[in-house]
Amino acid sequence: MKQLVFLACGAGFGFLLSRARATDFDAITDMFLLRDLHLMGVIGVAIATAAVGIALLRARGRQGELAPKPYHRLVFAGGLIFGVGWALSGTCPGTALAQVGEGRVYALVTVLGILAGTWLQLRSLHVKAAPAR
Amino acid sequence: MHTVVELLARPWPFWVAGFALGAFVPLFALATGKALGISSGYADACDLAGPARDRWKLWFVLGLPLGGLLGASSEQTAALETSVARFTALGVPLGAQLGLLFAGGVLVGFGARLAGGCTSGHSIVGVAQGAKASLIATLGFMVGGFATAQLLFRWLEARP
Repeated sequence: MKQLVFLACGAGFGFLLSRARATDFDAITDMFLLRDLHLMGVIGVAIATAAVGIALLRARGRQGELAPKPYHRLVFAGGLIFGVGWALSGTCPGTALAQVGEGRVYALVTVLGILAGTWLQLRSLHVKAAPAR
Repeated sequence: MHTVVELLARPWPFWVAGFALGAFVPLFALATGKALGISSGYADACDLAGPARDRWKLWFVLGLPLGGLLGASSEQTAALETSVARFTALGVPLGAQLGLLFAGGVLVGFGARLAGGCTSGHSIVGVAQGAKASLIATLGFMVGGFATAQLLFRWLEARP
């Protein structure tokens, strides 16, 4: 039952990513080429909205497991590597899966790549990801 | 009801989509007590043989394709895409396209685990909290993405 709730939440988030055009290869590429700032606007408004919502939750002590992620010296390096992959594949971990559902079959290759990269990092470097929550 | 579907099917302005995605984060935390994150769902998938634990993130990421299906069907563009139109238009053969997607995916997966999150967990949830790690990771995402896209696409577009 609990699994179904999370499945449904994931479907809701995937729907929003799709409607936001975050799953659109051209929208991501044109954001990086500064030709179409639609997604930049989406991300900016999303951050501002989430910030207000999280502050409201915090003020009422209802933030659950929301907590700042830990910093370590390889965060920026990891970010850079992610960014290179983001531009090459035109997608990030969540949107790649939403793309598959949209019928963009090629994204199955991206998803396989993300799984391989995740597996590789978990087994190669002893930098632990943010603690499981 | 019909008009609601029609409204959802129209292209969403950036502020509507941004507001909906942003509001999802605190509502999800309120309803489930969890902090939204996606790249760690891939880590759960890589660790299925590991000790039993709560794998809610795996269920969450499995829901994403269902959402994509809903999003695409509400727009009525049901054709399957087996290649990236942008790459095809620039004369990149299919094999090379898939190579770029796979290599990009590997870097995305590796980088997200190293940085401790992705565009959802760091750039939206983390930056919204003003977390140092998330601000620095997001700076890395953007610098890496801008530099790579500028080099790759300007080169592809300049090719004879």
